[in-house]
Amino acid sequence: MLVLAWRNIWRHRTRSLGAAVAVGFVVWMSVLYFGLVGAMRDGMYVTLTDTVGHVQVHIREYRDVRDFRQSVITGAADVRVRIEQTLPGTEVAAALEVPALLSGEDRARGALLAGMEQPAAVREEFATKYLKTGRLPAPEDLDGIALGTALARTLQADVGDTVYAFAPGTDGTGASAYTVVGLVRFPEPSQDARGAILSLPAAQDLAAPGAVSRFELHLPQFRRTLDDSGLLPLREQLQAALGERMIVETWRESYPALSDLERSLRPLIIVFLTIFFVLAGLLVVNTIYLSVIERTREFGVIIAMGARRGRVTRMVLAESLVLCATGAAAGLLLGLPLVARMARGFSYPFGWSEIVEAYGMPAVMYASIAPEEIAITLAFAIGVGLLAALWPARVAGRLAPVEAMRFVA
Amino acid sequence: MDALVRVRGLTKIYRLDGQQTVALQDVDLDIGAGEFTAIAGPSGSGKSTLLHLIGGLDHPTAGEVWLEDQRIDRLDHNQLAELRLRSFGFVFQAFNLIPVLSALENAAFVLELRGVPRAEREQTARAALSDLGIGELWRRRPNQLSGGQQQRVAVARAHAAAPRMILADEPTANLDGATGIALIDEMRHLNQEHGVTFVVATHDPRLLERVRRIVYLEDGRIVRDEGRAS
Repeated sequence: MLVLAWRNIWRHRTRSLGAAVAVGFVVWMSVLYFGLVGAMRDGMYVTLTDTVGHVQVHIREYRDVRDFRQSVITGAADVRVRIEQTLPGTEVAAALEVPALLSGEDRARGALLAGMEQPAAVREEFATKYLKTGRLPAPEDLDGIALGTALARTLQADVGDTVYAFAPGTDGTGASAYTVVGLVRFPEPSQDARGAILSLPAAQDLAAPGAVSRFELHLPQFRRTLDDSGLLPLREQLQAALGERMIVETWRESYPALSDLERSLRPLIIVFLTIFFVLAGLLVVNTIYLSVIERTREFGVIIAMGARRGRVTRMVLAESLVLCATGAAAGLLLGLPLVARMARGFSYPFGWSEIVEAYGMPAVMYASIAPEEIAITLAFAIGVGLLAALWPARVAGRLAPVEAMRFVA
Repeated sequence: MDALVRVRGLTKIYRLDGQQTVALQDVDLDIGAGEFTAIAGPSGSGKSTLLHLIGGLDHPTAGEVWLEDQRIDRLDHNQLAELRLRSFGFVFQAFNLIPVLSALENAAFVLELRGVPRAEREQTARAALSDLGIGELWRRRPNQLSGGQQQRVAVARAHAAAPRMILADEPTANLDGATGIALIDEMRHLNQEHGVTFVVATHDPRLLERVRRIVYLEDGRIVRDEGRAS
């Protein structure tokens, strides 16, 4: 049946070729599109996990605790050792967030001071993206502070000025004076109005010696969204090592909104695929239907010889499937090597890289396509082949042999 | 001899746009196994309609068609398809070969529909082509064959499946004199040497001269049934 289908679809080469090329083009475009979206998704993944870590460790029920003293992980040095022993090779960063009253010479404002200890590369990238003037406090700097630009305006403070912080601490109220070393334009307005950055030791000195609000674990082996499910067993392993006092969360659990943003890309591409394949499907319908009409006599003879309706229907479906499968195979053969080439790294041309970077994506991206995305593309092509042929196949299958053999195209 | 096909009171009326056309009217006919019967008559006399009803290609308006002890005029589409596949071979005026298949594949097509394994059906089809004297043309597609050769392939397609009866509708109408006579001789040879039962609708005098029995139809009725030695 497949041989017959193959020969039949090439009776009208131009028409069949047109339909096969349309399917092939859509498959090629889909593979490329999946690859580019994969690159964007992985770019987002890298940016997100570089910023917040792949896995975070908090005190249990940290979301509900209102008292600062109960919200921090005390004995952080011991916890860090246990983390490093459990997951060797992990880059561990820590942060201590301290609610404080921050005062300039004339004005004061409630602020959230973030004592940050980050890997050098992450720190550098953060500075490149968000630092407006000056610098970030050095990792061991006990006196420097970088203010959000809106907060600095409120306090009427600029680089070189002194600000004063008063904060509830684990050992009573803490107070300290800092020199403004830089201004940071935070992406979130609320963060820009309240946020300030210290070194981790400075924040600990102010409010909670030896404590942190959270650990952020950067796992260098996880650079692609496709690998992300591998985080779950590591989380379980770490949770068992740290005990019930703390909770270990993947970045998806800590920041569900970011995770949803990353996941929203796939439904979007499915919508586009549906539109592309429907258009290609119309060409296939036209090709198969015309082919059935032209061969009405022939189907009449085949039915007269004893072919059942189902057999004739399957013959037409097979032609459509062979046509679409041929186009899909060509599309894959042309598309996959291109995606493989782009998986080694590519930049957008015509200055688009700068636009992409402005949206927080890396300038160099790596195309990526998952096996299930190839399967989805093929399923679309096969689905189009089946759906496009259903009606013509039904027409052919229901022909009455005597009338069909009298038909003149 | 018990009849292979029995037709009783067979009537076929076509209705189109409120108009009724009586194609067959109250026809009774018996055809025995191994016969070579011609259905003769002018155009529009009901020859093809009778052939179609005997072969289960259409349902009668009234009457009965029996294939041995099986009444076939009441069978549904799928049952009729199965009956045609197992019991009848068809040869048409316009050859009606499948253009994308070779002579061998065309001759083996009915066997393929029956699910016969490839090697077996090709062997059978080759033998059928040889019986029709075109064994060496097995590779050729229909457009590479003459009209006579195409019609031989069509007869080979019917013969290869070893049906209980071959129904041929004006098989020589599109063939020139010598080719037509040669094809008739091939069919008679199959009838005499292989015992294949033929019912042929025709008004070709060359064919009518060479058959044992001629049933004459006029206006949908049998007007004469002549048994004749070949």
